[in-house]
Amino acid sequence: MKMVSAAKLKGDEGRRTTAIAFNNWADALSGEPKLIEDATYEELPAKCLLVPICSDKGLCGGVNTFITRSVKNCIKALHSQGKDADIAVIGDKGRGQLRRVHGDKIKLSVTEVQSPGNFTLAAAIASELIASGAGDYDAIVIMYNAYKNAATYNQMYKVIKPFKGEGEAEPLLAYEFEPDTKSEVLTDLQEYLLTSQIYHSFMDGAAAEQSSRMTAMENASKNAGELIGSLTLKYNRARQARITTELIEIISGAAALED
Amino acid sequence: MTTPTTFWRLAGVSYVQYVTKASSTVRAALKEPAKSKAMAQEGFVFNRSHWTDGKQGEKSLIDGLKKVGK
Repeated sequence: MKMVSAAKLKGDEGRRTTAIAFNNWADALSGEPKLIEDATYEELPAKCLLVPICSDKGLCGGVNTFITRSVKNCIKALHSQGKDADIAVIGDKGRGQLRRVHGDKIKLSVTEVQSPGNFTLAAAIASELIASGAGDYDAIVIMYNAYKNAATYNQMYKVIKPFKGEGEAEPLLAYEFEPDTKSEVLTDLQEYLLTSQIYHSFMDGAAAEQSSRMTAMENASKNAGELIGSLTLKYNRARQARITTELIEIISGAAALED
Repeated sequence: MTTPTTFWRLAGVSYVQYVTKASSTVRAALKEPAKSKAMAQEGFVFNRSHWTDGKQGEKSLIDGLKKVGK
């Protein structure tokens, strides 16, 4: 099983590398992804849509639990700051874990996603988010596992705020648009930015999931080996005990006949 | 919102859908064996559910951009 995961990880790593190169431009507009571990979420606006990217399959360590726990902590932090958040969850495992605690906050769930993913899938998910009212939120927060190496992954989040076209924090203020339909161009760019960020997060998450599965399968094989060893020992002891008992019975019987 | 000026918006298609359709058309115009390799990059399928008051709605199978948002 470890070998299977290792082979799949190679493919996921390749797709992740492609996605990083493709998504480089997005970080310049929406900022670098941030670590969830030391996040206070103070920079988030009043109404956010959290998009946790989880998987549909289990047996992959704590990949999904880390993300759902981050979502719970984020909602707790936002509530303490007087802010609100809804959830659009991707992945069946995330849906299962979040519905128990924050079922009332879930607005959309995307499950049984075909693997490996591609850009068209990201476009479909982004379009679903937009169709279910993602534009009404002050920010979309994507939470995902970021692959570091075959043994390590971190939980990161990306904040995608809508372009207003004016104000100090606006990244595209210095640009002029031709033809002069800035609001339309910004809407298009916003959609494409969301798609690109989902594409990258999905690929990063898939690689992290596969690396975690590889470690989990290695541990499972090791534990199964140990279990086989201990059970074989137990079986041999029982077998030996039976043989010894039979021998004693035969010897005792023979001795009784001699008497 | 003002009247859209771009032709895809006038047709009721979002920019992302337009880009995906354009790339799909380019892929379809390729010759074999590049075509089948490229076409594998655009297939997808997932189940989508809308939630109301903490209850999951019916699952809809989404396997094409035409079904998105419906």
